[in-house]
Amino acid sequence: MAQRTLILDGATEQGPPTRRAGDAASTALREMGWDVDRLLLSEIDIAPCLGCFGCWMKTPGVCVIDDAGRDIARRIVDCDLLIFLTPVTFGGYSWQLKKAIDRSIPNILPFFRRVNGEVHHVKRYARYPRLLGLGVVPRGPVDPDEEELFETMVRRNAINFHSPSDDACIVAATDDDEAVRQAIEAALGRVIGS
Amino acid sequence: MSEAGERVLLLVGSPKGLEKSSSARLGRFVVDRLRQYGWTSKAIHLHEAMRSEEGRDDLLGEVDRAAVILFAAPLYVDSLPAPAIRALESIAAHRATAANDRRPRFIPLLNCGFLEPSQNDMCQELLRRFAETARFDGGTGISLGGAGALTKRVRGALEQLVEAIHLELLVPDDALESTRKPLMPRWLYILGGNAMWRRTAAKNGVKERLRDRPYASG
Repeated sequence: MAQRTLILDGATEQGPPTRRAGDAASTALREMGWDVDRLLLSEIDIAPCLGCFGCWMKTPGVCVIDDAGRDIARRIVDCDLLIFLTPVTFGGYSWQLKKAIDRSIPNILPFFRRVNGEVHHVKRYARYPRLLGLGVVPRGPVDPDEEELFETMVRRNAINFHSPSDDACIVAATDDDEAVRQAIEAALGRVIGS
Repeated sequence: MSEAGERVLLLVGSPKGLEKSSSARLGRFVVDRLRQYGWTSKAIHLHEAMRSEEGRDDLLGEVDRAAVILFAAPLYVDSLPAPAIRALESIAAHRATAANDRRPRFIPLLNCGFLEPSQNDMCQELLRRFAETARFDGGTGISLGGAGALTKRVRGALEQLVEAIHLELLVPDDALESTRKPLMPRWLYILGGNAMWRRTAAKNGVKERLRDRPYASG
Protein backbone atom coordinates (compact mmCIF):
# COMPACT_ATOMS: atom_id res chain seq x y z
CA MET A 1 0.00 0.00 0.00
CA ALA A 2 1.26 3.49 -0.90
CA GLN A 3 2.42 5.70 1.93
CA ARG A 4 0.17 8.64 2.69
CA THR A 5 0.93 12.33 2.99
CA LEU A 6 -1.41 14.86 4.53
CA ILE A 7 -0.65 18.47 3.56
CA LEU A 8 -2.32 21.06 5.78
CA ASP A 9 -2.22 24.23 3.72
CA GLY A 10 -2.51 27.31 5.94
CA ALA A 11 -2.64 29.90 3.13
CA THR A 12 -4.15 33.22 4.15
CA GLU A 13 -5.54 36.13 2.14
CA GLN A 14 -2.76 38.46 3.26
CA GLY A 15 0.20 36.08 3.24
CA PRO A 16 2.38 34.98 0.34
CA PRO A 17 0.83 32.24 -1.84
CA THR A 18 1.57 28.68 -0.80
CA ARG A 19 0.18 26.95 -3.87
CA ARG A 20 3.46 26.56 -5.76
CA ALA A 21 5.28 25.05 -2.78
CA GLY A 22 2.34 22.71 -2.18
CA ASP A 23 2.32 21.70 -5.85
CA ALA A 24 6.07 21.02 -5.81
CA ALA A 25 5.78 18.83 -2.70
CA SER A 26 2.74 16.98 -4.11
CA THR A 27 4.44 16.32 -7.45
CA ALA A 28 7.66 15.08 -5.85
CA LEU A 29 5.80 12.78 -3.48
CA ARG A 30 3.55 11.34 -6.19
CA GLU A 31 6.63 10.64 -8.32
CA MET A 32 7.94 8.63 -5.36
CA GLY A 33 4.69 6.65 -5.25
CA TRP A 34 3.10 8.37 -2.27
CA ASP A 35 -0.59 9.25 -1.98
CA VAL A 36 -1.13 12.94 -1.29
CA ASP A 37 -4.11 14.45 0.48
CA ARG A 38 -4.02 18.25 0.52
CA LEU A 39 -6.40 20.39 2.53
CA LEU A 40 -6.77 24.12 1.97
CA LEU A 41 -7.71 25.10 5.50
CA SER A 42 -9.16 28.50 4.61
CA GLU A 43 -11.96 26.63 2.85
CA ILE A 44 -12.73 24.44 5.86
CA ASP A 45 -14.80 25.55 8.80
CA ILE A 46 -12.85 24.55 11.92
CA ALA A 47 -13.83 26.01 15.28
CA PRO A 48 -10.99 27.11 17.55
CA CYS A 49 -9.87 24.74 20.30
CA LEU A 50 -11.79 25.53 23.50
CA GLY A 51 -8.92 24.61 25.80
CA CYS A 52 -11.41 22.51 27.78
CA PHE A 53 -9.39 19.24 27.90
CA GLY A 54 -12.63 17.43 27.05
CA CYS A 55 -10.69 15.46 24.42
CA TRP A 56 -8.63 14.01 27.28
CA MET A 57 -11.06 13.99 30.20
CA LYS A 58 -14.55 13.45 28.74
CA THR A 59 -14.32 11.81 25.32
CA PRO A 60 -10.75 10.44 25.35
CA GLY A 61 -9.09 10.83 21.98
CA VAL A 62 -11.93 12.74 20.32
CA CYS A 63 -12.49 16.51 20.38
CA VAL A 64 -15.81 17.54 21.94
CA ILE A 65 -16.46 19.83 18.94
CA ASP A 66 -18.10 17.87 16.14
CA ASP A 67 -16.73 19.53 13.00
CA ALA A 68 -13.98 19.09 10.41
CA GLY A 69 -11.33 19.51 13.12
CA ARG A 70 -12.13 15.99 14.30
CA ASP A 71 -11.66 14.57 10.83
CA ILE A 72 -8.29 16.30 10.46
CA ALA A 73 -7.10 14.85 13.77
CA ARG A 74 -8.06 11.39 12.49
CA ARG A 75 -6.28 11.96 9.18
CA ILE A 76 -3.12 13.03 11.01
CA VAL A 77 -3.02 9.71 12.84
CA ASP A 78 -3.63 7.87 9.56
CA CYS A 79 -0.88 9.46 7.49
CA ASP A 80 2.82 8.64 7.21
CA LEU A 81 4.03 12.17 6.48
CA LEU A 82 2.39 15.33 7.76
CA ILE A 83 3.27 18.59 6.02
CA PHE A 84 2.57 21.96 7.61
CA LEU A 85 2.46 24.37 4.67
CA THR A 86 2.21 27.98 5.74
CA PRO A 87 2.99 31.59 5.05
CA VAL A 88 5.71 32.25 7.63
CA THR A 89 3.98 34.47 10.18
CA PHE A 90 6.26 36.25 12.66
CA GLY A 91 8.56 33.24 12.25
CA GLY A 92 5.80 30.70 12.90
CA TYR A 93 2.56 29.43 11.42
CA SER A 94 -0.46 31.26 10.05
CA TRP A 95 -3.66 31.21 12.09
CA GLN A 96 -5.30 29.10 9.37
CA LEU A 97 -2.76 26.33 9.89
CA LYS A 98 -2.76 26.74 13.65
CA LYS A 99 -6.53 26.30 13.92
CA ALA A 100 -6.08 22.70 12.67
CA ILE A 101 -2.97 22.03 14.77
CA ASP A 102 -4.67 23.20 17.97
CA ARG A 103 -7.46 20.69 17.35
CA SER A 104 -5.05 17.76 17.07
CA ILE A 105 -4.19 17.45 20.76
CA PRO A 106 -6.68 14.57 21.23
CA ASN A 107 -3.99 12.50 19.47
CA ILE A 108 -1.73 12.59 22.51
CA LEU A 109 -2.42 11.62 26.12
CA PRO A 110 -2.78 14.10 28.98
CA PHE A 111 -0.14 12.27 31.03
CA PHE A 112 3.26 13.83 31.46
CA ARG A 113 6.67 12.30 30.97
CA ARG A 114 10.21 13.58 30.82
CA VAL A 115 11.75 14.14 27.37
CA ASN A 116 15.24 15.62 27.01
CA GLY A 117 15.00 17.18 30.45
CA GLU A 118 11.55 18.72 29.87
CA VAL A 119 7.98 17.74 30.64
CA HIS A 120 5.93 16.64 27.61
CA HIS A 121 2.84 14.55 26.97
CA VAL A 122 2.78 10.77 26.50
CA LYS A 123 1.85 9.07 23.19
CA ARG A 124 -1.71 7.92 22.63
CA TYR A 125 -0.92 5.93 19.50
CA ALA A 126 1.83 3.46 18.67
CA ARG A 127 2.90 5.39 15.59
CA TYR A 128 2.85 8.97 14.38
CA PRO A 129 3.67 10.61 11.06
CA ARG A 130 6.94 12.24 10.14
CA LEU A 131 6.70 16.00 10.09
CA LEU A 132 7.81 18.50 7.48
CA GLY A 133 7.29 22.25 7.91
CA LEU A 134 7.16 24.15 4.61
CA GLY A 135 7.18 27.90 5.04
CA VAL A 136 6.71 30.57 2.39
CA VAL A 137 7.95 34.14 2.73
CA PRO A 138 7.01 36.97 0.34
CA ARG A 139 10.50 37.54 -0.98
CA GLY A 140 14.07 36.29 -0.66
CA PRO A 141 16.61 36.10 0.68
CA VAL A 142 15.20 34.31 3.68
CA ASP A 143 16.04 36.02 6.97
CA PRO A 144 18.29 33.52 8.81
CA ASP A 145 16.77 34.41 12.20
CA GLU A 146 13.29 33.81 10.86
CA GLU A 147 14.40 30.54 9.32
CA GLU A 148 15.93 29.42 12.61
CA LEU A 149 12.75 30.26 14.50
CA PHE A 150 10.62 28.38 11.99
CA GLU A 151 12.90 25.35 12.15
CA THR A 152 12.78 25.43 15.94
CA MET A 153 8.98 25.59 15.85
CA VAL A 154 8.80 22.48 13.67
CA ARG A 155 11.37 20.66 15.80
CA ARG A 156 9.46 21.50 18.99
CA ASN A 157 6.19 20.37 17.41
CA ALA A 158 7.86 17.11 16.41
CA ILE A 159 8.67 16.45 20.07
CA ASN A 160 5.10 17.10 21.17
CA PHE A 161 3.60 15.08 18.32
CA HIS A 162 6.09 12.21 18.64
CA SER A 163 7.19 12.49 15.02
CA PRO A 164 9.85 9.88 14.18
CA SER A 165 11.64 12.41 11.94
CA ASP A 166 11.18 16.05 11.07
CA ASP A 167 12.56 18.81 8.94
CA ALA A 168 11.75 22.34 7.86
CA CYS A 169 12.28 24.41 4.76
CA ILE A 170 11.43 27.97 3.77
CA VAL A 171 11.05 29.14 0.18
CA ALA A 172 10.35 32.64 -1.11
CA ALA A 173 7.42 33.56 -3.34
CA THR A 174 10.00 35.29 -5.56
CA ASP A 175 12.14 32.13 -6.00
CA ASP A 176 11.98 30.56 -9.44
CA ASP A 177 10.19 27.23 -9.92
CA GLU A 178 13.40 25.23 -10.10
CA ALA A 179 14.74 26.67 -6.85
CA VAL A 180 11.46 25.87 -5.09
CA ARG A 181 11.44 22.33 -6.46
CA GLN A 182 15.03 21.68 -5.43
CA ALA A 183 14.58 23.08 -1.93
CA ILE A 184 11.45 21.02 -1.32
CA GLU A 185 12.85 17.81 -2.76
CA ALA A 186 15.90 18.20 -0.55
CA ALA A 187 13.71 18.72 2.51
CA LEU A 188 11.58 15.69 1.59
CA GLY A 189 14.77 13.68 1.21
CA ARG A 190 15.86 14.65 4.69
CA VAL A 191 12.56 13.82 6.33
CA ILE A 192 11.59 10.60 4.50
CA GLY A 193 14.90 9.52 2.96
CA SER A 194 15.54 9.75 -0.78
CA MET B 1 7.34 58.36 35.07
CA SER B 2 4.06 57.85 33.29
CA GLU B 3 1.45 60.48 33.91
CA ALA B 4 -1.78 59.45 35.58
CA GLY B 5 -4.36 58.71 32.93
CA GLU B 6 -2.23 56.57 30.63
CA ARG B 7 -4.02 53.62 29.16
CA VAL B 8 -3.15 49.94 29.38
CA LEU B 9 -4.80 47.47 27.04
CA LEU B 10 -5.02 43.87 28.23
CA LEU B 11 -5.31 41.41 25.37
CA VAL B 12 -6.30 37.93 26.51
CA GLY B 13 -5.45 35.13 24.09
CA SER B 14 -7.00 32.23 25.96
CA PRO B 15 -10.22 30.63 24.70
CA LYS B 16 -11.41 30.57 28.31
CA GLY B 17 -11.93 34.31 28.18
CA LEU B 18 -11.73 37.22 30.58
CA GLU B 19 -13.22 35.47 33.61
CA LYS B 20 -11.97 31.90 33.77
CA SER B 21 -8.52 31.81 32.22
CA SER B 22 -5.14 31.87 33.96
CA SER B 23 -4.02 34.37 31.31
CA ALA B 24 -6.76 36.82 32.28
CA ARG B 25 -6.09 36.32 35.99
CA LEU B 26 -2.40 37.11 35.53
CA GLY B 27 -3.14 40.07 33.29
CA ARG B 28 -5.71 41.48 35.68
CA PHE B 29 -3.25 41.28 38.53
CA VAL B 30 -0.99 43.70 36.62
CA VAL B 31 -3.78 45.92 35.30
CA ASP B 32 -5.50 46.28 38.68
CA ARG B 33 -2.28 47.57 40.22
CA LEU B 34 -1.69 49.98 37.36
CA ARG B 35 -5.19 51.33 37.94
CA GLN B 36 -4.13 52.12 41.50
CA TYR B 37 -1.49 54.40 39.93
CA GLY B 38 -4.22 56.16 37.96
CA TRP B 39 -4.01 54.21 34.73
CA THR B 40 -7.15 53.52 32.74
CA SER B 41 -7.61 50.11 31.21
CA LYS B 42 -9.53 47.99 28.80
CA ALA B 43 -9.53 44.19 28.50
CA ILE B 44 -10.30 42.40 25.24
CA HIS B 45 -10.81 38.70 24.69
CA LEU B 46 -9.16 38.05 21.33
CA HIS B 47 -11.29 35.01 20.44
CA GLU B 48 -14.41 37.11 20.90
CA ALA B 49 -12.98 40.15 19.10
CA MET B 50 -12.06 38.14 16.01
CA ARG B 51 -15.56 36.74 15.62
CA SER B 52 -16.93 39.92 14.04
CA GLU B 53 -15.83 42.93 12.05
CA GLU B 54 -17.10 45.17 14.85
CA GLY B 55 -15.03 43.31 17.41
CA ARG B 56 -11.93 43.53 15.26
CA ASP B 57 -12.42 47.26 14.62
CA ASP B 58 -12.85 47.83 18.35
CA LEU B 59 -9.63 45.90 18.99
CA LEU B 60 -7.68 47.98 16.46
CA GLY B 61 -9.11 51.22 17.86
CA GLU B 62 -8.05 50.24 21.37
CA VAL B 63 -4.57 49.33 20.12
CA ASP B 64 -4.29 52.85 18.71
CA ARG B 65 -5.29 54.40 22.03
CA ALA B 66 -3.08 52.34 24.35
CA ALA B 67 0.25 53.41 25.83
CA VAL B 68 0.95 49.84 26.93
CA ILE B 69 -0.37 46.57 25.54
CA LEU B 70 -0.20 43.62 27.91
CA PHE B 71 -0.59 40.43 25.91
CA ALA B 72 -1.56 37.53 28.18
CA ALA B 73 -1.90 34.13 26.55
CA PRO B 74 -1.36 30.42 27.08
CA LEU B 75 1.06 28.34 25.06
CA TYR B 76 -0.83 26.05 22.67
CA VAL B 77 1.30 23.49 20.85
CA ASP B 78 4.46 25.60 21.18
CA SER B 79 2.78 28.77 19.94
CA LEU B 80 -0.34 30.86 20.50
CA PRO B 81 -3.94 29.73 20.11
CA ALA B 82 -5.08 30.24 16.50
CA PRO B 83 -7.46 33.18 17.16
CA ALA B 84 -4.66 35.02 18.99
CA ILE B 85 -2.40 34.62 15.94
CA ARG B 86 -5.26 35.85 13.78
CA ALA B 87 -5.58 38.93 15.97
CA LEU B 88 -1.83 39.61 15.73
CA GLU B 89 -2.02 39.32 11.94
CA SER B 90 -4.83 41.90 11.93
CA ILE B 91 -2.99 44.26 14.27
CA ALA B 92 0.21 44.03 12.20
CA ALA B 93 -1.71 44.73 8.98
CA HIS B 94 -3.47 47.67 10.62
CA ARG B 95 -0.24 49.12 11.97
CA ALA B 96 1.38 48.79 8.53
CA THR B 97 -1.23 51.05 6.96
CA ALA B 98 -2.26 53.35 9.82
CA ALA B 99 -0.78 56.83 9.92
CA ASN B 100 0.19 56.44 13.53
CA ASP B 101 3.73 57.13 14.71
CA ARG B 102 3.12 56.22 18.32
CA ARG B 103 4.90 53.14 19.49
CA PRO B 104 2.96 51.59 22.37
CA ARG B 105 4.91 49.31 24.65
CA PHE B 106 4.10 45.64 24.02
CA ILE B 107 4.61 43.20 26.88
CA PRO B 108 3.92 39.48 26.52
CA LEU B 109 2.84 37.50 29.58
CA LEU B 110 2.85 33.84 28.60
CA ASN B 111 2.00 30.74 30.58
CA CYS B 112 2.27 27.07 29.67
CA GLY B 113 0.94 23.84 31.13
CA PHE B 114 4.36 22.28 31.28
CA LEU B 115 6.63 22.78 34.25
CA GLU B 116 9.38 24.71 32.49
CA PRO B 117 8.84 28.43 31.81
CA SER B 118 11.53 28.09 29.12
CA GLN B 119 9.05 26.20 26.93
CA ASN B 120 7.58 29.65 26.18
CA ASP B 121 10.89 30.98 24.81
CA MET B 122 10.14 30.30 21.17
CA CYS B 123 6.75 31.97 21.45
CA GLN B 124 8.35 34.97 23.13
CA GLU B 125 10.65 35.25 20.12
CA LEU B 126 7.64 35.03 17.81
CA LEU B 127 6.01 37.88 19.74
CA ARG B 128 9.22 39.91 19.58
CA ARG B 129 9.09 39.58 15.80
CA PHE B 130 5.44 40.56 15.82
CA ALA B 131 6.21 43.67 17.90
CA GLU B 132 8.93 44.65 15.46
CA THR B 133 6.61 44.15 12.47
CA ALA B 134 3.82 46.13 14.13
CA ARG B 135 6.21 48.93 15.18
CA PHE B 136 5.62 48.42 18.86
CA ASP B 137 8.18 49.03 21.53
CA GLY B 138 8.73 45.36 22.29
CA GLY B 139 10.77 44.21 25.20
CA THR B 140 11.31 41.01 27.07
CA GLY B 141 8.13 39.42 28.30
CA ILE B 142 7.40 37.24 31.26
CA SER B 143 7.13 33.46 30.85
CA LEU B 144 5.50 31.21 33.39
CA GLY B 145 5.31 27.43 33.61
CA GLY B 146 3.03 25.31 35.78
CA ALA B 147 -0.14 26.59 34.04
CA GLY B 148 0.47 30.13 35.24
CA ALA B 149 0.03 29.47 38.93
CA LEU B 150 -0.03 32.80 40.78
CA THR B 151 2.49 31.87 43.45
CA LYS B 152 4.18 34.26 45.86
CA ARG B 153 7.23 34.37 43.62
CA VAL B 154 5.12 35.11 40.53
CA ARG B 155 3.23 37.84 42.39
CA GLY B 156 6.54 39.42 43.33
CA ALA B 157 7.71 39.38 39.72
CA LEU B 158 4.42 40.86 38.51
CA GLU B 159 4.67 43.63 41.12
CA GLN B 160 8.08 44.45 39.66
CA LEU B 161 6.55 44.40 36.19
CA VAL B 162 3.91 46.92 37.33
CA GLU B 163 6.60 49.24 38.64
CA ALA B 164 8.58 48.89 35.42
CA ILE B 165 5.53 49.72 33.31
CA HIS B 166 4.53 52.69 35.45
CA LEU B 167 8.06 54.10 35.64
CA GLU B 168 8.76 53.31 31.97
CA LEU B 169 11.71 51.12 32.87
CA LEU B 170 12.90 47.82 31.48
CA VAL B 171 11.50 44.74 33.18
CA PRO B 172 14.10 44.02 35.89
CA ASP B 173 16.35 41.04 35.27
CA ASP B 174 15.64 39.57 38.68
CA ALA B 175 11.89 39.57 37.93
CA LEU B 176 12.60 37.65 34.72
CA GLU B 177 15.03 35.33 36.47
CA SER B 178 12.70 34.54 39.35
CA THR B 179 9.91 33.48 36.98
CA ARG B 180 12.26 31.26 35.01
CA LYS B 181 12.71 28.89 37.92
CA PRO B 182 10.40 25.85 37.82
CA LEU B 183 7.82 25.77 40.61
CA MET B 184 8.78 22.35 41.89
CA PRO B 185 10.98 19.34 41.10
CA ARG B 186 10.18 17.77 37.76
CA TRP B 187 9.38 14.35 39.20
CA LEU B 188 6.84 15.92 41.54
CA TYR B 189 5.14 17.85 38.75
CA ILE B 190 4.86 14.69 36.64
CA LEU B 191 3.59 12.60 39.56
CA GLY B 192 1.12 15.22 40.75
CA GLY B 193 -0.03 16.13 37.25
CA ASN B 194 -0.67 12.52 36.26
CA ALA B 195 -2.59 11.88 39.50
CA MET B 196 -4.70 14.97 38.80
CA TRP B 197 -5.55 13.73 35.29
CA ARG B 198 -6.58 10.32 36.68
CA ARG B 199 -8.74 11.90 39.38
CA THR B 200 -10.50 14.16 36.90
CA ALA B 201 -11.10 11.27 34.51
CA ALA B 202 -12.48 9.15 37.35
CA LYS B 203 -14.91 11.93 38.28
CA ASN B 204 -16.05 12.02 34.66
CA GLY B 205 -16.42 8.23 34.60
CA VAL B 206 -13.82 7.74 31.87
CA LYS B 207 -10.77 6.57 33.83
CA GLU B 208 -10.75 3.21 32.07
CA ARG B 209 -11.03 4.88 28.67
CA LEU B 210 -8.25 7.45 29.11
CA ARG B 211 -5.92 5.58 26.76
CA ASP B 212 -8.52 4.86 24.08
CA ARG B 213 -7.28 4.95 20.50
CA PRO B 214 -10.36 5.93 18.54
CA TYR B 215 -8.49 6.46 15.26
CA ALA B 216 -6.09 3.54 15.40
CA SER B 217 -4.89 1.36 13.19
CA GLY B 218 -1.90 3.32 14.70
